[in-house]
Amino acid sequence: MTSASATARISLSSLRAHRRRFAGTFAAVLLGVAFLTGTLVMGDTLRASFDSLFAGATSGTDAVVRSADTITTPGESQGARGPVDAGLAARVAQVPGVAAAAANVQGLGQLVGADGEPIGGQGPPTLAGNWIKDTRLNPYRLAEGRTPERSGEVVVNRGAAETGGLKIGDSTVLRTPDPVRVTIVGLATFGGADGMSQTTFTGMTRADAEKYLTPEPGRAASVLVRAGPGTGQQELVDALTPVLPKGVEAITGEASAAESTDMISGQFLDLFTTFLLVFSGIALLVATFSIHNTFAIVVAQRTRENALLRALGAARGQVVGVALAEAAVVAVAASAAGLLGGVGVAAGLQALFPAIGFPFPEGELVISGLSLGLPLLVGIVVCLGSALLPAVRAGRTAPLAALRETAVDQSGTARSRTVTGLALAAIALATTLYGVLGTPSIWLAGTGAVLALAAFVVLGPVASTAVLRVLARPLGRLRGVTGGPGRVRKVPPAPRRLARTLAAPGEGPSTSSTRACARHAESTHQTPQGPPFGRTARLSGRDLAGRNALRSPRRTAATASALMIGVAVVALFTVFGASLKATMDQTVDRSFAGDVAVSAPSFGAGGSGLSPALADRVAGLPEVDSAVGLGRGVAEVDGAGRQLTVTDPVALAKGLDLGEVRGSLDALGADGLALSAAEAEARGLALGERTELAFTDGTQETFTVRAVYARPELAGDYVLTREAWAPHRGQDSDTVVAVTFKDGVDAASGKAAVERTAAAYGNPEVQTREEYAQSSAGGIDMMLTLVYALLALAVLIALLGIANTLTLAVHERTRELGLLRAVGQTRAQLRAMVRWESVLVAAFGTAGGLALGGFLGWVLVQAAQGTGDTDFAFDVPPVQLAVVALVGLAAGGLAGWRPARRAARLDVLRAIATE
Amino acid sequence: MNTAPVAHAAARVVDAVKVYGSGDTEVRALDGVTVGFPAGRFTAIMGPSGSGKSTLMHCAAGLDTLTSGSAAIGGTELSTLDDRRLTVLRRDRVGFVFQSFNLLPTLTVAENITLPLDLAGVRGDTEWIDALVDVVGLRDRLHHRPAELSGGQQQRVAVARAFAGRPDVVFADEPTGNLDSRSGAEVLGLLGRAVRQMDRTVVMVTHDPGAAAHADEVVFLADGRLVDRMQGPTAERVLDRMKALDGARSDVPDHPTQGVPNTQGVPNTQAVPNTQGVPS
Repeated sequence: MTSASATARISLSSLRAHRRRFAGTFAAVLLGVAFLTGTLVMGDTLRASFDSLFAGATSGTDAVVRSADTITTPGESQGARGPVDAGLAARVAQVPGVAAAAANVQGLGQLVGADGEPIGGQGPPTLAGNWIKDTRLNPYRLAEGRTPERSGEVVVNRGAAETGGLKIGDSTVLRTPDPVRVTIVGLATFGGADGMSQTTFTGMTRADAEKYLTPEPGRAASVLVRAGPGTGQQELVDALTPVLPKGVEAITGEASAAESTDMISGQFLDLFTTFLLVFSGIALLVATFSIHNTFAIVVAQRTRENALLRALGAARGQVVGVALAEAAVVAVAASAAGLLGGVGVAAGLQALFPAIGFPFPEGELVISGLSLGLPLLVGIVVCLGSALLPAVRAGRTAPLAALRETAVDQSGTARSRTVTGLALAAIALATTLYGVLGTPSIWLAGTGAVLALAAFVVLGPVASTAVLRVLARPLGRLRGVTGGPGRVRKVPPAPRRLARTLAAPGEGPSTSSTRACARHAESTHQTPQGPPFGRTARLSGRDLAGRNALRSPRRTAATASALMIGVAVVALFTVFGASLKATMDQTVDRSFAGDVAVSAPSFGAGGSGLSPALADRVAGLPEVDSAVGLGRGVAEVDGAGRQLTVTDPVALAKGLDLGEVRGSLDALGADGLALSAAEAEARGLALGERTELAFTDGTQETFTVRAVYARPELAGDYVLTREAWAPHRGQDSDTVVAVTFKDGVDAASGKAAVERTAAAYGNPEVQTREEYAQSSAGGIDMMLTLVYALLALAVLIALLGIANTLTLAVHERTRELGLLRAVGQTRAQLRAMVRWESVLVAAFGTAGGLALGGFLGWVLVQAAQGTGDTDFAFDVPPVQLAVVALVGLAAGGLAGWRPARRAARLDVLRAIATE
Repeated sequence: MNTAPVAHAAARVVDAVKVYGSGDTEVRALDGVTVGFPAGRFTAIMGPSGSGKSTLMHCAAGLDTLTSGSAAIGGTELSTLDDRRLTVLRRDRVGFVFQSFNLLPTLTVAENITLPLDLAGVRGDTEWIDALVDVVGLRDRLHHRPAELSGGQQQRVAVARAFAGRPDVVFADEPTGNLDSRSGAEVLGLLGRAVRQMDRTVVMVTHDPGAAAHADEVVFLADGRLVDRMQGPTAERVLDRMKALDGARSDVPDHPTQGVPNTQGVPNTQAVPNTQGVPS
């Protein structure tokens, strides 16, 4: 028998014998790998589906002619593109090789559903355009009914109609954003699906489209071109390019479809997959701790076995090999199971998504080599990496250890650990503070955050000793939890101290004489010295739980670390989310001077906005003092895209608090603009100086700075008048209308009056200041919910780790538990003791996680504050964090449930007899 | 209510039968044993390996249940008690000393001693415990951990713990099995003094005639049956009786006692003191 096969045999037989011990490890790897695989497969599948969707829908388009100018503002992946002359279509049609060309007039138009609520607008765009007569050029296919022939007739995509409860023959309103009365005459499909994902589309006559979607007739978003027989796409583009005017380009249909896919990928898919990948990373990180802990405990419990192997002549490497081989088997098996699970999850989601109203494009699951190979590799590396240190430690077992009674845990509060940990913590703090307060740098702050995490992990064992002593103390004064039947006097009930007995690997039942172990009893002298039995505090079960948790600081800390990371991320997001909300509150509070706001959905860019006519109509109401609409524009300044606020500057000063205004907003005119003070300073512009803006239509204009205001939060950095913007605008719309009531008008009646007027404009929401602030924060709650759901997995893995550690501890303390039962601990007391230990460990992890998460949240807020120009508020939400803490504790109790039950089921006699 | 044949018994079993396994693997560890352990006396249970002496002790102490027959502590019939009542009875009325000390490593000496009282949530008689501490000679070790004590000291802690709640009876299972001869003699002396000076009741299982000689009475078991009783034993007489028993059962197959530790008939060479000459 070769030594390798001996190693393998020992590993396998040991695995078979201790299956249960590795159940937790197996589950942790499996869950992490499944999450990762599911994410990758889903991402690929979605991408492939969109690819085929666009390719299918636009297969009849061989070239697209469009403006070459595009301006991309920060934070938007899709640039604003200028229009082309619709007359180009006729000219292009004459080019040899062209079979057909059609102008594609496009803009935003949001349908109002049968229930009066607008359809969509929560992210994906609500498009409207001309219904292209050439069926092969039109990406939409008529599925039912007929095409629009007369003004007011429209075709809508079937998905939108279903969402809004509309059918052929129905009459409804299309917000363009001016309300337009339309009648549905047909339903359309896109590439075989009921729509382009959640995007809605309304097709109207060419005349209607030009009337409602463009500032003036004769402009189109692009011209779609179909090649005649025998002309390739590139050939066609080459033929078109010479006849196009300056600033207009032609690209192949394939390139256009690819751009569309990329756009969706960029806006949604990449974000989506990155998001999920980050969370599967967190889950795997948490799993690392759990797995490492399990292997460390198993190695400690097997010290005698390993020592025997060494005594019998096994080389150090062979012992390491045995341990690693075990880990490898678990790693491969669990990762493979995780792959299956992940593919299953992706398939399940594909089936589930349509059921919850998210049309997952049809198509086979796309399972690439990467989405299988990467998770497999990660799972194996995580598992083996976690087992590496314990395996090396196993190899160091002295043959003599076989003769000693039990392994002694020498880890924990070594001075070097304390020093290293404190040094790390100091560096982390310094780096972070410098990155946050000195020269603001996300990278420095991020490095500091990572270092802080490392410091927490290194300091964990040291901290656990101190923290658990504190935590175990108040618990001792509680009573009645242990189910102890006897009267409880001043004496803290027994299960507390008993529970302290549970958490250590090393100090097993001491049989042989043991001065050798004396040095281990470091945490000995906590009982007050003095007259022995006069006033000495007596112990309770929770006492025991606490001492058990203290037995092996390293094990306890590692167990808690897993939970700590999970809770830290939860706390980080909770704090950051609360801070964002507080920031919005603060912004609205400081900058919004109006009484009510009429707004388009603020989360997500969807929807078609508000009719520019609305502000004027509202301003005419008898209750209203002023109403100002804020529209948006884009321009390029010094080569960078910037957002413009297009409004009536005089009214703006009433609706918003702009802070100190230098210069005058009254006379911006068509060639003047107002700047935020920060922007003016950054660009070195003073009042009266000139600056040049480039627009999407290719024109450039010089503007004079006529006013500088202090608060840019709602007004943005650039304010232009409507007349200045008019020559460059596309579809006109406002994003918000700020309304101020006349003195003496009460809020309710004022709001009701505005609502009545707004109803005619597609029923946008009218919000009080508070509602406006809250709706701005609504997206944050949505994001937090998603984050919590994703973090649940990491927390679950951490709890599995706690349960696993406890199970192992119960196993190794069988004799002690038996003794406790023999001398009179009831089953209920024993269960309570084990559960308390679990709760204590969870409390430690939760407390650490809250502290770390709170700190990281602060760092994030400060970093955001330092790098952006918005004034960030930092907010620690006490209620939410208390809920997090309670959930952590309760989960700890839950994790202890099974180990406690198993411990209580121990047969007393066997337990005492166990060697 | 006590109509048992043995009056004034701190603990007793009547017609005790304990069967492990069934069918071919059936083992009758106890086969109709009736014995009482009188209050205020030190009784040793002896017998060859597999004779059922540990089983008898476990059943009499309420750690294990009888297949048939009855066991009682004081006047309380054990078979009528559920697990919780049995636990409480063990806690309040029975003390244990085990071969392998079985102290809790995380607790100090003082805490180990009061463990049963703490589990009950009562303070106990502090004067009594104080006196116990002096008797076992551990006053200066009260705040140490078991790992800091020698084996003999640990077993003395266990003895103090067993008597701390003034139980009706203390059961000792091979209490000297893991000790050297001097420490063993100390522990046996403690048990004897507890009986004679403090009016306690001790039942001790041992296979060491020298240890048995410390008792007031020895009961002999063989093949699950009570075969003899000896008052005022000496090591020589006990050894002789044991040799006779061994000879008598040499043709009987060995009965393994399941789940019960350290019942080997062979003297533990490392721990057992010389078998001669500890006078009673």
